[in-house]
Amino acid sequence: MVSMNGVLLISFLLLAVGIAGVLIRRNALVILMCVELMLNAANLNFVAAARHSGTVNGQAFALLVMGFAAAEVAVGLALVVALYRRRDTVSVDKIDLLKG
Amino acid sequence: MENALAFIGRNFFLIFGLMAVGAAVAMVFSKSAVHSVLSFLFAMLSIAGCYLSLQAEFVGVAQILVYAGGIVVLFLFVVMLVELTRFKEAGGIFHVQTPWAVVAVLGACAVFIYVFRGLIFDPASKDALVLKPELAQGLDVASQNAQAVSRGLFAEYLLPFEILSVILLVALVAAVAIAKQERA
Repeated sequence: MVSMNGVLLISFLLLAVGIAGVLIRRNALVILMCVELMLNAANLNFVAAARHSGTVNGQAFALLVMGFAAAEVAVGLALVVALYRRRDTVSVDKIDLLKG
Repeated sequence: MENALAFIGRNFFLIFGLMAVGAAVAMVFSKSAVHSVLSFLFAMLSIAGCYLSLQAEFVGVAQILVYAGGIVVLFLFVVMLVELTRFKEAGGIFHVQTPWAVVAVLGACAVFIYVFRGLIFDPASKDALVLKPELAQGLDVASQNAQAVSRGLFAEYLLPFEILSVILLVALVAAVAIAKQERA
Protein backbone atom coordinates (compact mmCIF):
# COMPACT_ATOMS: atom_id res chain seq x y z
CA MET A 1 0.00 0.00 0.00
CA VAL A 2 1.51 3.26 -1.11
CA SER A 3 0.41 6.31 0.84
CA MET A 4 0.09 9.68 -0.84
CA ASN A 5 2.25 11.14 1.94
CA GLY A 6 5.15 8.96 0.89
CA VAL A 7 4.77 9.91 -2.77
CA LEU A 8 4.62 13.61 -1.95
CA LEU A 9 7.63 13.34 0.33
CA ILE A 10 9.81 11.45 -2.18
CA SER A 11 8.79 13.77 -4.99
CA PHE A 12 9.52 16.82 -2.86
CA LEU A 13 12.93 15.47 -1.90
CA LEU A 14 13.77 14.89 -5.57
CA LEU A 15 12.65 18.42 -6.43
CA ALA A 16 14.71 19.89 -3.57
CA VAL A 17 17.83 18.00 -4.67
CA GLY A 18 17.25 19.23 -8.23
CA ILE A 19 16.89 22.86 -7.16
CA ALA A 20 19.97 22.58 -4.95
CA GLY A 21 21.91 21.08 -7.84
CA VAL A 22 20.93 23.86 -10.25
CA LEU A 23 21.95 26.48 -7.71
CA ILE A 24 25.17 24.83 -6.47
CA ARG A 25 26.78 23.30 -9.55
CA ARG A 26 28.38 25.46 -12.25
CA ASN A 27 28.67 22.74 -14.87
CA ALA A 28 26.06 23.14 -17.62
CA LEU A 29 25.75 19.36 -18.09
CA VAL A 30 25.00 18.72 -14.42
CA ILE A 31 22.52 21.59 -14.40
CA LEU A 32 20.66 19.98 -17.33
CA MET A 33 20.56 16.67 -15.44
CA CYS A 34 19.14 18.45 -12.38
CA VAL A 35 16.39 19.98 -14.54
CA GLU A 36 15.54 16.48 -15.76
CA LEU A 37 15.39 15.33 -12.14
CA MET A 38 12.89 18.08 -11.30
CA LEU A 39 10.70 17.12 -14.28
CA ASN A 40 10.75 13.54 -13.01
CA ALA A 41 9.66 14.65 -9.55
CA ALA A 42 6.65 16.35 -11.15
CA ASN A 43 5.98 13.21 -13.22
CA LEU A 44 5.92 11.10 -10.07
CA ASN A 45 3.15 13.30 -8.71
CA PHE A 46 1.20 12.98 -11.97
CA VAL A 47 1.37 9.18 -11.83
CA ALA A 48 0.46 9.11 -8.14
CA ALA A 49 -2.54 11.34 -8.81
CA ALA A 50 -3.62 9.07 -11.66
CA ARG A 51 -3.39 6.09 -9.30
CA HIS A 52 -5.28 7.96 -6.61
CA SER A 53 -8.13 9.08 -8.84
CA GLY A 54 -8.34 5.79 -10.74
CA THR A 55 -8.08 7.47 -14.16
CA VAL A 56 -5.31 7.40 -16.74
CA ASN A 57 -5.19 11.15 -17.37
CA GLY A 58 -2.16 11.61 -15.12
CA GLN A 59 -0.30 8.76 -16.79
CA ALA A 60 -1.00 10.14 -20.27
CA PHE A 61 0.23 13.53 -19.14
CA ALA A 62 3.35 11.96 -17.62
CA LEU A 63 4.12 10.45 -21.03
CA LEU A 64 3.70 13.86 -22.69
CA VAL A 65 6.02 15.44 -20.12
CA MET A 66 8.58 12.72 -20.88
CA GLY A 67 8.47 13.67 -24.56
CA PHE A 68 8.95 17.35 -23.78
CA ALA A 69 11.88 16.47 -21.51
CA ALA A 70 13.50 14.57 -24.37
CA ALA A 71 13.10 17.58 -26.68
CA GLU A 72 14.52 19.89 -24.03
CA VAL A 73 17.55 17.67 -23.48
CA ALA A 74 18.26 17.48 -27.21
CA VAL A 75 18.29 21.28 -27.59
CA GLY A 76 20.13 21.82 -24.29
CA LEU A 77 22.92 19.40 -25.14
CA ALA A 78 23.26 20.94 -28.61
CA LEU A 79 23.67 24.32 -26.89
CA VAL A 80 26.35 22.87 -24.61
CA VAL A 81 28.25 21.46 -27.57
CA ALA A 82 28.00 24.75 -29.49
CA LEU A 83 29.14 26.61 -26.39
CA TYR A 84 32.13 24.32 -25.97
CA ARG A 85 33.10 24.86 -29.60
CA ARG A 86 32.84 28.63 -29.51
CA ARG A 87 34.02 29.54 -26.04
CA ASP A 88 35.90 26.43 -24.89
CA THR A 89 34.03 26.13 -21.63
CA VAL A 90 30.98 24.48 -20.12
CA SER A 91 30.99 26.50 -16.91
CA VAL A 92 27.94 28.76 -16.68
CA ASP A 93 30.00 31.31 -14.75
CA LYS A 94 32.16 31.94 -17.84
CA ILE A 95 29.15 32.78 -20.04
CA ASP A 96 28.70 36.43 -19.16
CA LEU A 97 28.35 38.15 -22.54
CA LEU A 98 25.17 39.92 -21.42
CA LYS A 99 26.65 41.08 -18.13
CA GLY A 100 26.50 44.88 -17.98
CA MET B 1 13.42 -14.26 5.38
CA GLU B 2 9.76 -14.23 4.47
CA ASN B 3 9.27 -11.35 6.83
CA ALA B 4 12.00 -9.41 5.04
CA LEU B 5 10.44 -10.20 1.65
CA ALA B 6 7.02 -9.14 2.89
CA PHE B 7 8.54 -5.93 4.25
CA ILE B 8 10.15 -5.21 0.89
CA GLY B 9 6.87 -5.97 -0.88
CA ARG B 10 4.97 -3.59 1.35
CA ASN B 11 7.50 -0.78 1.08
CA PHE B 12 8.45 -1.22 -2.56
CA PHE B 13 7.71 2.39 -3.40
CA LEU B 14 9.56 3.90 -0.45
CA ILE B 15 12.65 1.74 -1.03
CA PHE B 16 12.86 2.74 -4.68
CA GLY B 17 12.08 6.37 -3.87
CA LEU B 18 14.83 6.58 -1.27
CA MET B 19 17.22 4.92 -3.72
CA ALA B 20 16.30 7.60 -6.26
CA VAL B 21 16.88 10.40 -3.73
CA GLY B 22 20.24 8.91 -2.74
CA ALA B 23 21.31 8.61 -6.36
CA ALA B 24 20.19 12.21 -6.98
CA VAL B 25 22.30 13.44 -4.07
CA ALA B 26 25.27 11.46 -5.41
CA MET B 27 24.63 13.03 -8.83
CA VAL B 28 24.77 16.57 -7.47
CA PHE B 29 27.79 16.05 -5.25
CA SER B 30 30.07 13.89 -7.39
CA LYS B 31 33.06 15.67 -8.88
CA SER B 32 33.38 13.68 -12.09
CA ALA B 33 30.77 14.29 -14.79
CA VAL B 34 30.74 10.63 -15.79
CA HIS B 35 29.93 9.64 -12.21
CA SER B 36 27.16 12.24 -12.26
CA VAL B 37 25.67 10.71 -15.40
CA LEU B 38 25.83 7.18 -13.93
CA SER B 39 24.11 8.34 -10.74
CA PHE B 40 21.50 10.02 -12.94
CA LEU B 41 20.95 6.69 -14.71
CA PHE B 42 20.50 4.96 -11.35
CA ALA B 43 18.03 7.62 -10.21
CA MET B 44 15.99 7.25 -13.41
CA LEU B 45 15.85 3.44 -13.03
CA SER B 46 14.74 3.83 -9.40
CA ILE B 47 12.00 6.23 -10.47
CA ALA B 48 10.91 3.65 -13.05
CA GLY B 49 10.60 1.20 -10.13
CA CYS B 50 8.45 3.77 -8.32
CA TYR B 51 6.14 3.95 -11.37
CA LEU B 52 5.88 0.17 -11.44
CA SER B 53 4.91 0.08 -7.78
CA LEU B 54 2.25 2.72 -8.53
CA GLN B 55 0.76 0.32 -11.12
CA ALA B 56 1.76 2.53 -14.04
CA GLU B 57 3.54 -0.21 -15.96
CA PHE B 58 3.53 1.53 -19.34
CA VAL B 59 4.95 4.76 -17.93
CA GLY B 60 7.58 2.79 -16.03
CA VAL B 61 8.78 0.95 -19.11
CA ALA B 62 8.67 4.16 -21.16
CA GLN B 63 10.77 5.79 -18.46
CA ILE B 64 13.41 3.08 -18.82
CA LEU B 65 13.34 3.31 -22.63
CA VAL B 66 13.40 7.11 -22.87
CA TYR B 67 15.75 7.96 -20.01
CA ALA B 68 18.06 4.96 -19.60
CA GLY B 69 18.03 4.22 -23.32
CA GLY B 70 18.04 7.69 -24.85
CA ILE B 71 18.80 10.61 -22.61
CA VAL B 72 21.60 9.03 -20.56
CA VAL B 73 23.33 7.96 -23.78
CA LEU B 74 23.02 11.53 -25.10
CA PHE B 75 24.56 12.87 -21.90
CA LEU B 76 27.41 10.35 -22.09
CA PHE B 77 28.06 11.33 -25.72
CA VAL B 78 28.33 14.99 -24.79
CA VAL B 79 30.61 14.15 -21.85
CA MET B 80 32.78 12.30 -24.35
CA LEU B 81 32.75 15.24 -26.83
CA VAL B 82 33.43 17.89 -24.23
CA GLU B 83 36.76 17.41 -22.52
CA LEU B 84 35.52 17.89 -18.99
CA THR B 85 38.80 17.05 -17.29
CA ARG B 86 40.11 20.44 -18.40
CA PHE B 87 37.49 22.35 -16.46
CA LYS B 88 37.66 21.21 -12.88
CA GLU B 89 35.26 23.50 -11.08
CA ALA B 90 37.64 25.72 -9.17
CA GLY B 91 37.54 25.36 -5.41
CA GLY B 92 35.50 22.17 -5.36
CA ILE B 93 31.82 22.26 -6.16
CA PHE B 94 30.85 24.86 -3.58
CA HIS B 95 30.59 28.41 -4.86
CA VAL B 96 29.41 31.92 -4.20
CA GLN B 97 25.85 30.96 -4.94
CA THR B 98 25.84 28.20 -2.32
CA PRO B 99 24.45 30.23 0.60
CA TRP B 100 21.58 31.27 -1.65
CA ALA B 101 21.05 27.65 -2.66
CA VAL B 102 20.85 26.62 0.98
CA VAL B 103 18.44 29.47 1.71
CA ALA B 104 16.26 28.53 -1.28
CA VAL B 105 16.11 24.84 -0.38
CA LEU B 106 15.40 25.57 3.28
CA GLY B 107 12.66 27.99 2.23
CA ALA B 108 11.15 25.34 -0.04
CA CYS B 109 11.29 22.83 2.85
CA ALA B 110 9.56 25.31 5.14
CA VAL B 111 6.80 26.00 2.60
CA PHE B 112 6.33 22.26 2.00
CA ILE B 113 6.07 21.47 5.71
CA TYR B 114 3.73 24.44 6.23
CA VAL B 115 1.41 23.34 3.41
CA PHE B 116 1.41 19.64 4.24
CA ARG B 117 1.88 19.78 8.03
CA GLY B 118 -1.65 18.51 8.54
CA LEU B 119 -1.04 15.51 6.33
CA ILE B 120 2.40 14.69 7.64
CA PHE B 121 2.07 15.25 11.38
CA ASP B 122 -1.62 14.63 12.00
CA PRO B 123 -2.25 10.88 12.37
CA ALA B 124 -6.02 11.41 12.13
CA SER B 125 -5.92 12.61 8.51
CA LYS B 126 -3.40 9.99 7.46
CA ASP B 127 -5.74 7.81 5.42
CA ALA B 128 -7.46 10.78 3.81
CA LEU B 129 -5.10 10.55 0.83
CA VAL B 130 -4.29 6.86 0.88
CA LEU B 131 -4.42 5.46 -2.63
CA LYS B 132 -7.49 3.37 -3.24
CA PRO B 133 -6.77 0.19 -5.23
CA GLU B 134 -10.44 -0.46 -5.94
CA LEU B 135 -10.55 2.80 -7.91
CA ALA B 136 -7.72 1.66 -10.16
CA GLN B 137 -9.46 -1.37 -11.59
CA GLY B 138 -8.52 -1.80 -15.21
CA LEU B 139 -5.06 -0.46 -14.47
CA ASP B 140 -3.79 -3.53 -12.67
CA VAL B 141 -2.65 -5.71 -15.59
CA ALA B 142 0.11 -4.52 -17.87
CA SER B 143 -1.81 -4.97 -21.13
CA GLN B 144 -4.87 -3.27 -19.70
CA ASN B 145 -2.70 -0.45 -18.46
CA ALA B 146 -1.23 0.04 -21.94
CA GLN B 147 -4.74 -0.06 -23.42
CA ALA B 148 -6.07 2.48 -20.95
CA VAL B 149 -3.11 4.83 -21.44
CA SER B 150 -3.32 4.64 -25.21
CA ARG B 151 -7.04 5.35 -25.08
CA GLY B 152 -6.33 8.44 -23.00
CA LEU B 153 -3.43 9.47 -25.22
CA PHE B 154 -5.05 8.95 -28.62
CA ALA B 155 -8.63 9.93 -27.81
CA GLU B 156 -8.72 12.48 -25.07
CA TYR B 157 -5.26 14.00 -25.49
CA LEU B 158 -4.83 13.63 -29.24
CA LEU B 159 -4.13 17.33 -29.87
CA PRO B 160 -1.39 17.64 -27.20
CA PHE B 161 0.09 14.41 -28.51
CA GLU B 162 0.27 15.74 -32.07
CA ILE B 163 1.67 19.06 -30.86
CA LEU B 164 4.32 17.07 -28.98
CA SER B 165 5.32 15.27 -32.15
CA VAL B 166 5.73 18.61 -33.97
CA ILE B 167 7.76 19.97 -31.04
CA LEU B 168 10.02 16.90 -31.16
CA LEU B 169 10.57 17.47 -34.88
CA VAL B 170 11.39 21.14 -34.27
CA ALA B 171 13.78 20.16 -31.46
CA LEU B 172 15.49 17.65 -33.75
CA VAL B 173 16.06 20.25 -36.47
CA ALA B 174 17.11 22.87 -33.91
CA ALA B 175 19.60 20.55 -32.25
CA VAL B 176 21.26 19.76 -35.56
CA ALA B 177 21.28 23.44 -36.59
CA ILE B 178 22.73 24.64 -33.28
CA ALA B 179 25.40 21.97 -32.93
CA LYS B 180 26.50 22.23 -36.57
CA GLN B 181 27.74 25.85 -36.48
CA GLU B 182 31.30 26.42 -37.56
CA ARG B 183 33.86 27.75 -35.16
CA ALA B 184 33.61 31.53 -35.14
